[in-house]
Amino acid sequence: MSTFHIKIITSTKVFYEGPCYSVVIPALDGEMEIMANHAEMIVATCPGEMRFRIEENGEQYRAIVGQGFCLIANNRATLLADQIERPEEVDANRAREALERAQERMRQKQSIQEYHMTQAAMARALVRLKETERFIH
Amino acid sequence: MASPREILNHIKSIQDTQKITNAMYLISSTKMKQAKKKLEDTEPYFYTLQNVISQILRHLPDMEHIFIEKPDVKRTKIGLLVMSGDKGLAGAFNHNILKTARQFIDHTDHDVKLFVVGELGRQYFIKQNIPLEENFLYTAQNPTFNRARWIAGRLLEKYKSGEFDELHVIFTRMESSIVSVLEDKMILPLVRFADVDIPLDVRQEYFSLAPSPEEALDTIVPNYVTGFIYGALVESFCSEQYARMTAMESATNNAEELLRDLRIQYNRARQAAITQEITEVCSGTRAQKKKKGNNSQVHYLNSSSFHLGSG
Repeated sequence: MSTFHIKIITSTKVFYEGPCYSVVIPALDGEMEIMANHAEMIVATCPGEMRFRIEENGEQYRAIVGQGFCLIANNRATLLADQIERPEEVDANRAREALERAQERMRQKQSIQEYHMTQAAMARALVRLKETERFIH
Repeated sequence: MASPREILNHIKSIQDTQKITNAMYLISSTKMKQAKKKLEDTEPYFYTLQNVISQILRHLPDMEHIFIEKPDVKRTKIGLLVMSGDKGLAGAFNHNILKTARQFIDHTDHDVKLFVVGELGRQYFIKQNIPLEENFLYTAQNPTFNRARWIAGRLLEKYKSGEFDELHVIFTRMESSIVSVLEDKMILPLVRFADVDIPLDVRQEYFSLAPSPEEALDTIVPNYVTGFIYGALVESFCSEQYARMTAMESATNNAEELLRDLRIQYNRARQAAITQEITEVCSGTRAQKKKKGNNSQVHYLNSSSFHLGSG
């Protein structure tokens, strides 16, 4: 199996940069796997789980991504997202608190823009919570 | 010449001020360290984001989208996001940014809707009677991604509803660790690259946008705006701390110089006072002696004749 170069960057750090065998990203219309020599394209991603494999037949690494996008060109992929965390980095309590805050805000009267913001915050919190629970069990 | 007491008072007051400027220097240098760390962490994101966006723009299929410039439509309303500091005493930092913003407003014939981050900038525009967006109260301290999200959300909402059709950001960017430059960047709408600068023999890459170009741009562009605003906030905060650090450092040094001069002055004044006192005492005693001598002239004459005799 051949590899391709991937650069995963968040607003606070370079999450991973180097060769990679396959990566699965949460696109807007479902999960999508990218392997070596993928067609050139730009994919928008939504909050969700991504998996990538950097060793042949090795284990898949999992990470939680926020909203972002991925650019694939010349056998190189660049994934940019506002936040990417490893499951063990996500603090379950923090995620739960964020979810409760978002739910609380949902109940209040708010403008359309605030509603969208809260909805996005809630989506992020839900994904993170789901992942931490899977990690603990 | 001022009296020694006055000079002492002056020295005391300068020492007090120096303590304050020195403390501010220490605080801003630690804040600067944190800000710099944040800046280094976010720089790859900030620059890759801009690169990728320009790459996307080069290869974008022909399409109409609210975030993309329409060549035959004239834009008339500008949204201007200005990033100033929350506090003064940062050298020319705030002055520069506000001057640039002011020039921008004065030189454009479009309607400008002003959004200001930072308390100082807000106060400035209120005093100048330049209308600015109220309820846009965001601090420039400790930028977070969440705050960038809120700012971008509000601006995008206004952009989509047509309150303005062009969005500019004026902020201070750290060019290197010692040089900061002012930057004025138009982030919306995105401008397509002219086709002319691509040679004919170069293979044109074709990107497909998933799931569809419209949906992809709907997510990517807000993401880009948020990322850009976050980067600009961090750059601006870092520049502010740097400006304050250097300003306070030079203030402390100036105080040191002033103190040295004043200490010399004080010593001179003190010496002059002592000399004067001694002269006064001496002349006083001499006068006293003269008086005494007049009363007992015999003794005086005797002694002087003795002196004469011996001479």
